Amino acid sequence: MAVDELQAIIQRCQILEESDFKGEDFNLFQVAGQKCLEDGYAAQLLEVIQNEKNKVIIKNMGWNLICPLVRCIFTYKQEDDKREYCLKILHQLAQLCNPKELFLGLLEQIEQTSAEQVCQTVMLLLQPLQTVLLKLQNKKAYSVGLSLAMIMNQLTPLPVPYTKQQIQEDKLGLCQCCNAVVGFAKPFVNEVVKNMEKSSEYNDMELKEELLKFCMKSLKYPLLTAQLEQLEGIEEHPFRHFAIEIINILWDIRELIPLVFSHRKGKSPRWENQEFADIEQKNSADSLACLSYLMFVQHFGIDCFPMVFSPSYLLQCNMTHIEVLLKSFFLSFLQDLFESCLLRMEDNSLLHQYLEFRDFINVPQDLVKVMTLCPIEHLRKKSLNILQLFIDKFDAEGKYTLFRCLLKTSNHAGVEGYIIKNIKDQIHLSLMKACDNIWFTGHHLISLLDLVLLLPEGAETDLLQNSDRIMASLNLLRYLVIKDSESNNQTGVWTTLAKIEQNFLKPLHVGLNMSKAHYEAEIKNKKENRREAHSSNTVCSVTVSGEKMPAMTTEMQLQVLHSALFTFDLIESVLARVEELIEVKIKAVMDENS
Amino acid sequence: MTTDEATKSEGEVQAAAALAERGEDITPARDRGVLKIIKRPGSEDESPMIGDKVYVHYKGKLANGKKFDSSRDRNEPFVFSLGKGQVIKAWDIGVATMKKGEICYLLCKPEYAYGSAGSAPKIPSNATLFFEVELLDFKGEDLFEDGGIIRRIKRKGEGYSNPNEGATVEIHLEGFCGGTRFDCKDVKFVVGEGEDHDIPIGIDKALEKMQRGEHCILYLGPRRPHGPPGAGGLPCPTGIALGIYLQAKESWEMDTKEKLEQAAIVKEKGTMYFKEGKYLQAVIQYGKIVSWLEMEYGLSEKESKASDSFLLAAFLNLAMCYLKLREYAKAVECCDKALGLDQDNEKGLYRRGEARLLMNEFELAKCDFQKVLEVNPQNKAAKSQISVCQKKTKEHNERDRRIYANMFTKFAERDAKEAASKTGVEKSTEKAVCEKGPKAPGAEGEEAEGHV
Repeated sequence: MAVDELQAIIQRCQILEESDFKGEDFNLFQVAGQKCLEDGYAAQLLEVIQNEKNKVIIKNMGWNLICPLVRCIFTYKQEDDKREYCLKILHQLAQLCNPKELFLGLLEQIEQTSAEQVCQTVMLLLQPLQTVLLKLQNKKAYSVGLSLAMIMNQLTPLPVPYTKQQIQEDKLGLCQCCNAVVGFAKPFVNEVVKNMEKSSEYNDMELKEELLKFCMKSLKYPLLTAQLEQLEGIEEHPFRHFAIEIINILWDIRELIPLVFSHRKGKSPRWENQEFADIEQKNSADSLACLSYLMFVQHFGIDCFPMVFSPSYLLQCNMTHIEVLLKSFFLSFLQDLFESCLLRMEDNSLLHQYLEFRDFINVPQDLVKVMTLCPIEHLRKKSLNILQLFIDKFDAEGKYTLFRCLLKTSNHAGVEGYIIKNIKDQIHLSLMKACDNIWFTGHHLISLLDLVLLLPEGAETDLLQNSDRIMASLNLLRYLVIKDSESNNQTGVWTTLAKIEQNFLKPLHVGLNMSKAHYEAEIKNKKENRREAHSSNTVCSVTVSGEKMPAMTTEMQLQVLHSALFTFDLIESVLARVEELIEVKIKAVMDENS
Repeated sequence: MTTDEATKSEGEVQAAAALAERGEDITPARDRGVLKIIKRPGSEDESPMIGDKVYVHYKGKLANGKKFDSSRDRNEPFVFSLGKGQVIKAWDIGVATMKKGEICYLLCKPEYAYGSAGSAPKIPSNATLFFEVELLDFKGEDLFEDGGIIRRIKRKGEGYSNPNEGATVEIHLEGFCGGTRFDCKDVKFVVGEGEDHDIPIGIDKALEKMQRGEHCILYLGPRRPHGPPGAGGLPCPTGIALGIYLQAKESWEMDTKEKLEQAAIVKEKGTMYFKEGKYLQAVIQYGKIVSWLEMEYGLSEKESKASDSFLLAAFLNLAMCYLKLREYAKAVECCDKALGLDQDNEKGLYRRGEARLLMNEFELAKCDFQKVLEVNPQNKAAKSQISVCQKKTKEHNERDRRIYANMFTKFAERDAKEAASKTGVEKSTEKAVCEKGPKAPGAEGEEAEGHV
């Protein structure tokens, strides 16, 4: 039935001239063709299409069959003969139809497909789409760009497989699809390359722009969210492969190196289209950060990279990307990139002047936030390692400035304690070395010690909360009075003793007495009210990583109070030791003088 | 010291050996860290200066003869800024000794290259590197990448730090135009306030990129005109030697009290500049308040009140400056921030309205002016601005309609008669608008100061 109808309309049109085809004919053709497909007469339809006599008809009307054809292909099973016929029809249509209409027909299919079928549809239609685009006469660059943008936009909502299992399973086909899209872009890349060798024409710039847009988009999705480490048991890691292909494209169209150093150049005036240049600047930060990660951590495309840049300069260039990654929470990328830049440098080789770049001072501060606030332990730990690396690379003045800054901005006793320990290490190095280091001795050190040897809020400081900081400060002071004699006074600590006494030791005594009295009273209180406490309601509850902590029993509360008292005792004993040392040394000097 | 023309690779092997043997030690420390042999002398006698943009072709090899990099393989010259630490030390030293057109060989010890760390994945730890370098070209540094200020450094300054805004500088300045010297003086002033001492803003800007003791030549283009406003802009090379300067404190080095004290001083300065019509300088001053106080935390109640009022004033005044500078988007941004601090701020709303009106966002502008009236029904300027908005919207729609009409003239022909009568009416209203002329903006009388 359906085939007869199709034959009827075909025969009617065979005698007509191309220009005489009417809207009505198109409709009849589409309805009949669709019916053939739905009723399973794909083989017969193929025959009609292949018939030389029908060439003109197919050229004009064929594109109408794309929609039902795609629908049919998805209903048949993989090994079904009819599916084979359908695929052949698709292939034939790509060859025979008017490229302009067919192009729109194909894009429409990609646009309309559902999320589950996106990858399948794209992979099915890439081949014919490429054939059609290569045949297009006008607006080719625009059409290539439109296709790539449409495909990437349709893929973007899909989740990126992350674990090894997910990648192997590739449930939605994303891994396969991404690599197929690169294959799709290849001939256009080659075209740009060929034309660049000849001369640069306006039209080539356009195609190049489109390809560049595609690469930038791919760097952001899926690459920025993908797992790119080598995985055991996967020979060809699909996203690593994809990344390499994207970098190859950028290299081929000679945009790779300019992109890596794009912040240095500012706006590239070569773009004819100002709007594009603006958008590129705004949206490309993430993509560029990802590109940097691929080159410097994964070493993709590093062969093309000039090997004469100084490591400090590379760090400086990457600092922008590191900040971007930090701000958008791609923490593991960020850490790897930061680490790889720092590992290229020798200790003490980074000049303090680099701290004048905003990001050199912002990034460590943000890193401290990751260290103290990030819920994932290994990221916290690694941040701490990187911070230490960063400190190590700076020269003495750089370290000094960084310490000052972090002490002022961290607002976290643990971090402050850590920095103070670092300061102690630096003083130690300065005292050991024959050549003296002006930043960690004498008046520079004194002004740094002013920030360290004090209680932030005087005697009212919460000693428990600040115990890390206080202990580190006391240790530092103890170190100073042991290592440095009053006669030498290399560090200058003996000159400023009165101030330390006033700002640190005295209020610490008062604070300790107050706190101890308070906690002891609290313990007594708790013990007396043990019975009642059981029945009392909790005033507030605490949640840790989403789980509500059980209310504390009186026993637990007592334990906590005791451990607080223990901390105070510890502080007190170190404090006593420090004061003893000071006294002994001063006395020794006085005896000497008398 | 020119090597013989042998086959290329053989030549290089020889060169590496010859370098070690009789290469010239070009390190300032004389430690034989960088050795050089000239393969082909340069065509001109001039060498690049520090900070110049240099164009080179090069080839790099490891001690074992393995090539690790070549700009010729990439098919484009390698470009970098000389003497800025962008490249390995050996290069900053080596290329500075070259003449234009010269080809030379360099042998670089690891201390002058990638040291013990190496550079993954190509350069191993403690590698001695061999380079063949050809100096193709060089030119002065374009300080702001707009061709406005070109710098060539005659003598490098100490260290690398630059005077930041607010630093006090002492400079010796000689100005030349067309070969004649028109100015020669020693001046001491605060960066960003050069205008007070007849220092062209171009030089003031360039100072932020100079270092202590640096001696350089600046070529100021017409884009950054020389002289105070009204004196006319002339492009002129200007020689400058920078003397001593005192670094202003970084914000995190100041405590809150200092920041608040400084904010009061800076605000006064900003207002002074504003009154004199020096909006760019005023922006710098007000900007300082924002950078000091915007992210400040842990303030006492009293401090935070003071800080907020400084910030509010700074944002409002910045908005005013940006309006004057015709940077409307920035003006809107500042108003948004001011309104974030005080959502019913009359000036904030009014200025945002003005900015939006000038950006042709009539509807949004109208909303702002209406809000002004809600806050202060007595504000006459806002009332008249609303009517300006309405008129502009109308004009705009009309223009749209005309364009639309032109596009579809053919379709419109059928309805020609109806259309004719309609456009007649429109024309008369348009005429009325023209006669009245553009309404004088009511904001001119507004003062930049007056907060706190």
